[in-house]
Amino acid sequence: MGFLEIKQLCKSFDTTPVINDFSIEIVELTLCCLVGPNGAGKTTTMDLITGRQKPTSGQILFCEDDITGLDEHVIARRGIGRKFQVPAVFRDLTVRQNLEVAYSRSTNPLKNIFRFSDPGFVQKLEQVVAQAGLSERLNVEAGILSHGETQWLEIGMVLMQDPRLLLLDEPVAGMTEAEIEKTVAIFKELKKTNTLVVVEHDMAFVREIADVVTVMHMGSLLAQGPISEIEANARVREVYLGEAEA
Amino acid sequence: MNIYHNATAQWLAYGVFFVLLAVVPMFVDDSFLLNQFATYGVFGLLALSISLCWGFGGILNLGQGIPFGLGAYGMAMTMQMQSQDASNPIPPFMLNNSLDHLPWFWEPFRHTALGIILALVVPTLFCAIFGGLMFRARVSGPFFAIMTLAMLSAWYTLILDVQPYTNGANGITPPGALKFGDYAIDPYSPVAYWSVLALLAVATVGGRLMTRSRFGLVVQAVRGDAERVRFLGYNVAGYETTIYTIAGFIAAVAGCCWVALTQYVSPAQLDTTFSLSMVIWAGIGGRLSLIGAIIGAFLIQGAQSYLGDTFLNTWLLVLGGFFILVVRFLPKGLAGLLETILGRFPLPQRGNSNGNSAQRLYPQPGE
Amino acid sequence: MAAGSFFGSFDPSAFINALILGISIASIWLIAALGLTIIYGTAGVINMAHGEFIMLGAYSSYMLQNYFGLPFLLCVPAAFVIVAAVGLVLERGLIRYLYKRPLDTLLATFGVSLVLMQGVRLIFGSDPKYLAVPSIFTSNFQLGFVNISAFRVIVLAITIAAVVALWALFYRTRFGVQVRAVMQDKEMAASFGINSDRVYMLTFALGAGLAGLAGSLFGVLNIVLPTMGMGYVVQAFLVVVVGGGTLIGSVVAGGATGELQSIFAYFTNDTFARFVLYVLIVVFLRVRPQGLFAPSATRR
Repeated sequence: MGFLEIKQLCKSFDTTPVINDFSIEIVELTLCCLVGPNGAGKTTTMDLITGRQKPTSGQILFCEDDITGLDEHVIARRGIGRKFQVPAVFRDLTVRQNLEVAYSRSTNPLKNIFRFSDPGFVQKLEQVVAQAGLSERLNVEAGILSHGETQWLEIGMVLMQDPRLLLLDEPVAGMTEAEIEKTVAIFKELKKTNTLVVVEHDMAFVREIADVVTVMHMGSLLAQGPISEIEANARVREVYLGEAEA
Repeated sequence: MNIYHNATAQWLAYGVFFVLLAVVPMFVDDSFLLNQFATYGVFGLLALSISLCWGFGGILNLGQGIPFGLGAYGMAMTMQMQSQDASNPIPPFMLNNSLDHLPWFWEPFRHTALGIILALVVPTLFCAIFGGLMFRARVSGPFFAIMTLAMLSAWYTLILDVQPYTNGANGITPPGALKFGDYAIDPYSPVAYWSVLALLAVATVGGRLMTRSRFGLVVQAVRGDAERVRFLGYNVAGYETTIYTIAGFIAAVAGCCWVALTQYVSPAQLDTTFSLSMVIWAGIGGRLSLIGAIIGAFLIQGAQSYLGDTFLNTWLLVLGGFFILVVRFLPKGLAGLLETILGRFPLPQRGNSNGNSAQRLYPQPGE
Repeated sequence: MAAGSFFGSFDPSAFINALILGISIASIWLIAALGLTIIYGTAGVINMAHGEFIMLGAYSSYMLQNYFGLPFLLCVPAAFVIVAAVGLVLERGLIRYLYKRPLDTLLATFGVSLVLMQGVRLIFGSDPKYLAVPSIFTSNFQLGFVNISAFRVIVLAITIAAVVALWALFYRTRFGVQVRAVMQDKEMAASFGINSDRVYMLTFALGAGLAGLAGSLFGVLNIVLPTMGMGYVVQAFLVVVVGGGTLIGSVVAGGATGELQSIFAYFTNDTFARFVLYVLIVVFLRVRPQGLFAPSATRR
C-alpha cells in the first residue's frame, strides 16, 4: 500500500476535462517531482489532493484513509501541507506571526481565545528559522520581504505545520542560483523525514532533487520513473520538452 | 521603534483613557448631560464591536443594528414587564392594539434575570446562526456586508409590522427605571454612567486581550488571506463566526445599556443609517485601534449632538465628505494618523513619550 | 392547488393577479438592479450610492419637468444622461483609486450616498415631490379578471427594452467585447491594447445612467424623497447577489425574487413576505454562495 495513492482521478470544468483518469502512487520518504507542460493539470492535481477542488470522480487515499472531497482544513490536519505557486503569506503580519499562525497544533477558535502561546512553538520556530534562514527578518512585516524571502517564508510556514506530506508548487520560481542551491540542500534534508511532491519547471533543479519524476500531459499520466529514464523517454521528449521550449 | 506599537505604552494609554473617563461625574453636575455621556459609552461599545469584527476580522458588518436592536428590545420588554403587576398584567400599548392576553414570547420577560439573559442570548444566537450559515458557504467580503444589510432591513420591517407585539413605529417606552430587586438604577445617576463605563472598559480590555491571543492572530491572518489559513488546518468559518458572534454579543450588551439609559426603544435602533454610522465611527476613529474606534464614536456623536438638529443636515453632509476622504487617504483612520505622526519621532526616553501619547489619545468626552 | 387547503380560502383569480403583480415587481427590482449588475459585474465595485443615483434620477426628472416644462417622456432619457454624467465624475474623482480595495469602494460609495442624500435634502427640502405623467399612464386597465395600472406595463416594457439593449451592447458590439475581455483578465486585455481604465469609466457611467432611468420611473410609482433610494437599494443588491453579478443572472434572480415576494405577500402580507424572502435568500446562498450564474475565478 502506498503512502499517497491517487486512483482514476477525473476533474472537469463544465464539460472540459482537466484531469483525465490520472493514477499515481507516492512512496513514503521520497521526493517526487511532478512535471508537465502548462495546462497539464499539475496545479489542479494539487488542488484536488488538498481539497481546494472536488474531483468529478476517482479516489485519493492518504495513509490508506480516503480523503477524497474532504474540506481543506481537515486534509491539512491529516498532515498534508501546501505551498502555493504565487507565494501566499500574510503580508500585514510579521514573519514571526506568519510562522506562529502556521504552527497549527491547536485549531479550536474558542480555546484559542484563551491561549497566548503554544508549548513547543519557540523550539519549532528556532528549528524552522535555522532551516529557512529567516532569523534576521523575524520581526519585519512579511509584505516587505523580497521575492526569494517570501518563497522561503512560505516554505517555512509549511514546515511549521510538521506535515507528513509536503506539496510544493514551484518552490524555486524567481530564486537566484545561490538561493536554489540552498533549497536543494534543505529538500535533501527534508526527504529523510518527510514525503515531498514538488511541481517544478526548472529541470536542473528537478535533476538535483528528484527520486521519482512523474510527467503529466493533458490531465493524464504520461510517464513515471527516475530522471534518467524520463529524459530518455521518447514520448516525453516529444510532448513535453519539445513544447516547453516552444 | 514607534511608540505607537509599544505594548506598555498602549496599555498605559488605555489606563489613562478609562481613568479620565471615570472621573467625569466629579466635574459634571448636570444629570442630563451625564446621562448623555453614558449613552456615548453605548456608542463606544458599538464602535468597539465594529472594530473587532471589521478592523481585526476583516468582516464588514453593516447590520450591527440587529444584535443591538434585538438586545434593546429584550431589555425594553424586561423593563416594561417590571411595571406590570397582577392587577395590570399586560402593557398598555397591547391593549390599545386590542390584544387581551400577553403573547407567549413576552412571558419569560416577567422575570428580570431571565429577560436580561434572553436579551443577550437571542441576538448572540442569531449572529451565530446567520454568521455560521454565511461563513460556511464562504460568503465573504462585500457580499457578506450586503447580506447583513438585507437582514437588518428584514428585521426592521418585521418589528415595524407586528405592531400589537412591539408597538410598531412608536416603540416601547418602559415607564420605570431598571430594577434589580428593590434597587433601581437611576439612568441619570453616576452609578449608571459608571456601570456603562465599566462594561466598556471590560469589553475593551477583553477585546484587546483577544486580539493578542492565538485566536486574534488567526483572525488577522484570515483577514489577510482566508484561503491560505484553511490550508494550515484552521476551520476559517469557525473563526469568522466566532469573531462575528462576539461582536454581536457586545452589541447586544450595548442595546441593553441603551434602553436602561434612555428607557426607550424603537425600530430606529435597527435603521440602516444607524448601523452604517457605527461603521463610520470606527472608520474615522481607526478600525484597527479599539480605542481609536471608541474615540471616533465619541467625537462624531458628540459633534452631532453639540450642533443640534438645526445643523443636522449640513453636518451629515460634512460627515459623508469627511468619511470619503478618510477611506480614500486614511484607511487606518485618525489612529493611523497618530501612528504616522508618532513614527516620525523614534522612541526616545520612555517616560516622556508615554505621557505624550496618552495625552494625545485622550479626548474630552462629548467634545 | 394544494397550497390553498393550507391557507384557508384560496381565490384563483386573486392568485393569478398576484402572479401578474409579481412580474411587475420583478421588472421594478430588475431595472433597479441593472446598473448595479453591470458595475459589479465589470469592475467588481459594490456601489452603495446606487440608491442615491436612483433618487437623483427622480429629482432630475422633477427638476426638468417643473422648471423647464419638459414632457415626462423626455425626462426619462434626460435623467439617464444627467445621472450618467454624475457617475462619470464620481468614477474619475474617487472610484478609480479604489478598484483594488473592494470593501473600501463599498464604504466610499456609502459616503457618497450620504453626501448626495443630504445635498438633495438641502437643495430641495425633505417634503415629498411628485412627478406628473400623461393621464393615459395613470389609468388602470382590465385584462380578463386581472387589473393592472398602465404605468406598470410601461415600466415592464422599458425594463425589457433595457435588458435587450444591454445584451446587444455586451454581445453584439466592439465595446461589449472589450468589456468582457476586461472582466475575464484585465492584464491580458491590456496587452491586447484594450484600455481597461476607459472601459471601467464607461461602464460606471452607464450603470449610473441606468439608475437614473429607473429613478425617473420610480418617481411616478412612488413619491420623490431624498431618502427614496434606500428603499430600492437593498432589493437591487439582493438581485445582484442572487444572480451572481451577470446580466442573465440578474434577469432570472429579479424574476424569481419578484414572483416569490408577490406569492408570499398573497398568503401573508408585504412586510412578512419580505422577511421570508430575505431568509430564503440566506438559505439559498448557503447552498449556492456564488449566485445563480457566476463567472468562475481561478487562483494559482
